[in-house]
Amino acid sequence: MTCTLGEVKNRADFMIYWGGNPAECHPRHFTKYSLTQKGKFTPNGRKDRTMVLVDIRETPSAKAADVFLQIRPGKDFELIGILRALIKNQRVNEAMVAETGLPLSKLEELVAMMKAARFGVIFFGMGLSMTRGKHMNSAGVLMLAAEMNAFTKFVAMPMRGHGNVTGADVVMRYTTGYPFGVNLCRGYPRFNPGEFSTVDLLVRGDNDACLVLGADPGATMPQPAIDHLARIPTITLDPKVTHTSRLSRVHITTAATGISAPGTAYRMDEIPLPLRPALKSPYPTDEEVVRRIREAVARRPAWLPERNGEMVV
Amino acid sequence: MGFVGLLGCVMLRITGGKVYDPANNINGTIQDVCMDNGRIVADVQGGRTINATGMVVFPGGVDIHTHVAGAALNFARAMTPENQRAAAKFMHTKTTRAGIGGPTPTTFATGYLYAGMGYTTVVEAAVPVLSAKHTHEELRDTPIVDKACCLLMANNEIVMDLLEKGETERAKDVVAWLIWAAKVYGVKAVNPGGVTAWKWGKDAKQVHEPVHGYNKVTPGKIIAELAKIVDELGLPHPMHLHCNNLGAPGNVATTLETMKVLEGNRAHMAHLQFHAYGGDDWHTFRSEATQIADYFNKHKNLTCDAGAVLFGNAVTITADGPWQHLLYQLTGRKWGNLDVENETGCGIVPYTYKGSNLVNAVQWAVGLELLLLIDDPWRVFLTTDHPNGACFWRYPEIIHLLMNADARKERVKKLPAKALSRIVLADLDRQYSLYEIAIITSAGPARALGLTQKGHLSVGADADIAIYNQNPDGEHMFRYPRYVIKAGEIVVEEGDIKNVRDGHEFIVKPQYDPKIEDFLKPVFQQQYTMSFENYPVELERVHGLQQVKIS
Repeated sequence: MTCTLGEVKNRADFMIYWGGNPAECHPRHFTKYSLTQKGKFTPNGRKDRTMVLVDIRETPSAKAADVFLQIRPGKDFELIGILRALIKNQRVNEAMVAETGLPLSKLEELVAMMKAARFGVIFFGMGLSMTRGKHMNSAGVLMLAAEMNAFTKFVAMPMRGHGNVTGADVVMRYTTGYPFGVNLCRGYPRFNPGEFSTVDLLVRGDNDACLVLGADPGATMPQPAIDHLARIPTITLDPKVTHTSRLSRVHITTAATGISAPGTAYRMDEIPLPLRPALKSPYPTDEEVVRRIREAVARRPAWLPERNGEMVV
Repeated sequence: MGFVGLLGCVMLRITGGKVYDPANNINGTIQDVCMDNGRIVADVQGGRTINATGMVVFPGGVDIHTHVAGAALNFARAMTPENQRAAAKFMHTKTTRAGIGGPTPTTFATGYLYAGMGYTTVVEAAVPVLSAKHTHEELRDTPIVDKACCLLMANNEIVMDLLEKGETERAKDVVAWLIWAAKVYGVKAVNPGGVTAWKWGKDAKQVHEPVHGYNKVTPGKIIAELAKIVDELGLPHPMHLHCNNLGAPGNVATTLETMKVLEGNRAHMAHLQFHAYGGDDWHTFRSEATQIADYFNKHKNLTCDAGAVLFGNAVTITADGPWQHLLYQLTGRKWGNLDVENETGCGIVPYTYKGSNLVNAVQWAVGLELLLLIDDPWRVFLTTDHPNGACFWRYPEIIHLLMNADARKERVKKLPAKALSRIVLADLDRQYSLYEIAIITSAGPARALGLTQKGHLSVGADADIAIYNQNPDGEHMFRYPRYVIKAGEIVVEEGDIKNVRDGHEFIVKPQYDPKIEDFLKPVFQQQYTMSFENYPVELERVHGLQQVKIS
């Protein structure tokens, strides 16, 4: 249960940021969409909204919050479960509440605030989705938001980052049916995160070539994955020389999308925005390079056996 | 492959087939159909000839209401990897791209599946302006078929605010501007007022009660004004309406009330099956298809599509957010909800229609009852509101049930005993002829859409043709066309995709006062989160664009 950011701007009078530090990581989020913007039903901006921050440490975002709840590291899933019980007036185990590092009275206050909201939203960051519990935490938060709709309007939204990762996700879904971790080796899409995700393929050394587009795995992935990238023919397309470029056999400099190349980027709420370049670039666009590689590959013999000029499937 | 003549013209002659072309009153006559350069022509000299002896020749199918592209469908794909895993796979070949079938097929597979069934034109029925760019991107990657979109309008707050103030003239300009901004073909109204109310967790269940947050605007007012605006703008397709109270027991009252509001204007009632129920709750749930059909038969300003249900897996995807929340509470299954600022929302719940379930059994019967009780096939069309009632690639199963009263009655016997007193299907003996099937799958929807070059085989029409082996088993016959021809080229031969070409997308440009932008800009600044300049869809984003003239 989610919405576009304009819904938050126009309606949200209560928001929880959970496991994220928007003041530093999404610096325009408060001012453009969520906290200080004046919307159709929130004419006074910040004054019309209450903001709660849940995190393991007091980040600069805490200054913007009305309530800061410091949770013990790795206890997000437990807290989500307790909140799901509390909203339904179910009994909770006090020892388990104590484990989260927050007193029951605070949580009951939080639940009262959630239920009193006209339109509540939970923004959850990587501090929730990439720590102990991982996708179970995300699922828990989404369930919490879903169940809150029995009392008032409530939505949840992941705080995604890294350029156009949402756009990649969207295009993968409509072309292959799956958002990521897709394997096309059998000639049709298969999905298995943990098996076909990039990092797993690289760590196991399953792939014998790699094309890197709009990412820098050489800087972020575990060492065995990086070692494998250096071992195989890796081709990197990037406007600048990255850590991955240095391990690659080939680096192709491309025009920077949005600055010197046109394109479309998807916002974290999956709204597409056209990018209009302000500058010209001597370099080709990513699209052009990929198209030319594809044309060159098409000139090679097909990978499936042929009979009478048609592939045998 | 057709014979490629001078200037790349492809000539083709179909000979010996029984032709069903209802728009020209041709009912199974054996005659030649000739085409050249993508159009039907009177005669051709040379080129390939298809011997269609023993086969029937139909104009290519037209789906007036389906959900095959857009942010909501793509959200559903993300929610249901388990469906994709169980679904039919499409291999990457020299002609086709890899893909996956199932309830929410990938874009390429969607094109292959429709063409593989003899359908050549589809209408994506629900597009918000805000994410229209994305819908057009998906349609660009949906090959072979021609496409058109309907724009979600009945919960657009800018329009509703204007109606509240009584500024209907300005509202008309805004609607026209938005149609052109989104590059779409028609206007869709979904649960008028209800989706806006859902933004506060409410719904709009009464046609004549004000929408939550408004004093004067009622669902009835939105429906009447929008239908009027669409007619005044002269759009080729009337307002496409999804009534309030979808799926609820006793919603027949709302539907009849809505139809009364529409008197004097044209309208297309989408997936009428979901709006024809009686009873007070789920235990007393019953069919009211007779009541709806009686009213509908007498009011010629309306057309409708069935929105029929088949037993099995489906994914319900609709802009009707409050209904989806209820369905989630009823089923306890996954629920996705996506509200779109100022415009609309959408809800997604995977659903399984069970033959043993009383409510599902009644729903199954209602879809067929409407198709059988509405006497004019030119006003009721075959749809399943894909993927809500069933997947579009299961249409042949419905055709079989329509053509064969015995098969239908056999199936009715297997329904739960309790259901039999709630439906009238067992008493209906009508059987559809091939001529009538050609109307409800092609000629009728094309006419209702105002697509003058589709759904018939007159000289000058688009050469979109499906050729089937005649077979008493309607399901088998319509599932496996012998040939499918799109724009004069053979695209499917004996179930194989032979040739992939890109389809067109139809759009309209209604007239509006350009000064409307001066009004919209400040409102937009206040209510939206992207800049005004980025809002309209660029012309170059619409692939194979074909602008349809407004009369």
